[in-house]
Amino acid sequence: MRQIIKRIVYFLFFTFLLCMPLLSRNDYDLFVTNRALLNVILASGLVFLTGFAGQISLGQAGFSAIGAYTSALVTVKLGLPIPVGILAGVALSAFAGLLVAIPSFKLKAFFLSLMTIAFGQIVWLLLVNLTKLTGGSQGLFNIPLMKIGNNLFSNAMYYYVFLAFAVLSLVLINRIKYSHIGRKMFAVNDDEIAAEACGINSKNTKIMAFSISAALAGLSGSLYAHMLGFLTPEPFVFFESGNAVAMAVVGGLRHMSGGVIGGVLLTWLPELLRLNIRGFENYYLIVNASIVLLIIIFLPKGLGASLFNGLSRLWGENPRAMTLRNPKGKEKA
Amino acid sequence: MLFNDLLQNIIGGVTVGSTYGLIGLGVVFLWQSINRINFANISSAMLAAYLFYTFYTQLHFGFFLSFICSILIIAIYGMLLRYLVYEPITRHGGDKLEFVVATLMLCILWLSVINATFGGLPKPFPPVFGEATSFVQMGPISIPSVYFWIFLVVLLLILGLYFLLRKTFIGKMLRATAQNKEAAALMGVNVNLTTSIAFMMATTIVGIAGILLAPIYFVSLELGGGSIGVKGFASAVMGGLIDPFGAILGGITIGLIENFSTLFISSAYKDIISFMILVVVLLWKPRGIFNWTTKGD
Repeated sequence: MRQIIKRIVYFLFFTFLLCMPLLSRNDYDLFVTNRALLNVILASGLVFLTGFAGQISLGQAGFSAIGAYTSALVTVKLGLPIPVGILAGVALSAFAGLLVAIPSFKLKAFFLSLMTIAFGQIVWLLLVNLTKLTGGSQGLFNIPLMKIGNNLFSNAMYYYVFLAFAVLSLVLINRIKYSHIGRKMFAVNDDEIAAEACGINSKNTKIMAFSISAALAGLSGSLYAHMLGFLTPEPFVFFESGNAVAMAVVGGLRHMSGGVIGGVLLTWLPELLRLNIRGFENYYLIVNASIVLLIIIFLPKGLGASLFNGLSRLWGENPRAMTLRNPKGKEKA
Repeated sequence: MLFNDLLQNIIGGVTVGSTYGLIGLGVVFLWQSINRINFANISSAMLAAYLFYTFYTQLHFGFFLSFICSILIIAIYGMLLRYLVYEPITRHGGDKLEFVVATLMLCILWLSVINATFGGLPKPFPPVFGEATSFVQMGPISIPSVYFWIFLVVLLLILGLYFLLRKTFIGKMLRATAQNKEAAALMGVNVNLTTSIAFMMATTIVGIAGILLAPIYFVSLELGGGSIGVKGFASAVMGGLIDPFGAILGGITIGLIENFSTLFISSAYKDIISFMILVVVLLWKPRGIFNWTTKGD
């Protein structure tokens, strides 16, 4: 019986995902949802990096910016098609991730986070100051939008494309998690010296982790560029990197769903507060920050794990047995 | 003429840099006592500057009274930071990363609170350190009197800190806790008390730095986030996060580099250069350049 409920709930959830554009009240809602999907990609990359591989990045907006601007410049200045631009953006941000991974061989926790902050700030300052290339704070305009034939994409079409990309990234992360790469990452996360002693090359795993998470950030950035059609340095400030980490932590670093829940919640929460409560325009950021702060203080393990624990109680499975490495909920031998 | 320019740049760099060093001190004190990094460190600077502004220009307290009032409130804020943020996170099983994200959120929270109550426009700082156009003549060189007073206050503060840390019993307790918490507790040091003192000292010193920086950066949101905060971290890192006086020296180095890159390269790239220096220091000597406390590496 409970298994049937479980199936029905999942079925309803997926139908909801597919019918979302039909249900939304207006175009703006759909636009925010699209941004939420991009943030899901970004935050999932961070869950992967921090929760699985144990590294910290507070410069994720920098990778995002590299992806966005590369894709924009490739399509605008070189006139190449959008998929090539996106590929170039992803590739270049993955390469930047590789470079940022090198300091992580030596630096731990706080020093690494400072390093990534410095990286993000340098990227941002370059965006502002290299006016010939990036347009500076004036912005970069006339970035080609996605289209079929001669029809520009509507927000609903963007929704399906972004949904596909988000699902693809989640599947990718899930596959990597259970491959030898993911297991090596968990080993390095647990105990680097022991992992090295077992013949795991910790440097390679760290490079992999950083490049993949940077590539995901770059993907979300380049998709963003082709949705908006113009770019300014504003969405890539340091606080956006902080926001990305907040999404990952609010969602839960120890669970695949963390990036999804955090990304959707932290994109929608400020919009809901801003739009639905009158006379609240000045204060919604305060309430938003307080809510996130309270979630982190009282649920440091994140919403994702709690939600799935609750759900598995509902299906009558054993929630305690559901850990990171045992996600199917089977008892360990 | 060139020599005078050079000298004036040195004085400007040392003055601004020493306030960065004070911000770095906030990082150092918390790192020593709880092994965490407070990303809302710089918020105390902004809060203190706005409190001072409110007390001085709107409630018309005198200079000293408004200074003392804002510093007191900031010290209490430090205590609240401990009992409302740090302790609950630890109790609910949060670790370093959760503390980092929580304090980042706190930083955003304070920025939006100030934005909602005071508005986003920078406020002119009351000319308590002399008018912007007045200079102190010292032989051939003239120093803006703002810089002169800031440097004097920082110097007094550093001397006071030196006295407190090296010559008093509280300083001994703080240093003992910083070296080894368990051993200090076994020797009868009240670790609970020293942790509270460290929190209060961190916010207070950063608050004073905020009031001192306000004549240069105005009473603005810029004091509460972004590059000044990172420069504070950078100066703390130069001191290896351990050595308080190393942090001050690190801040002065960053201030000097910043001023000279403005002079020789371009003011647009001065922040990039200071971040580059931070990266180089992290890669080359992660334990800090001005770190005489821990040996090795």
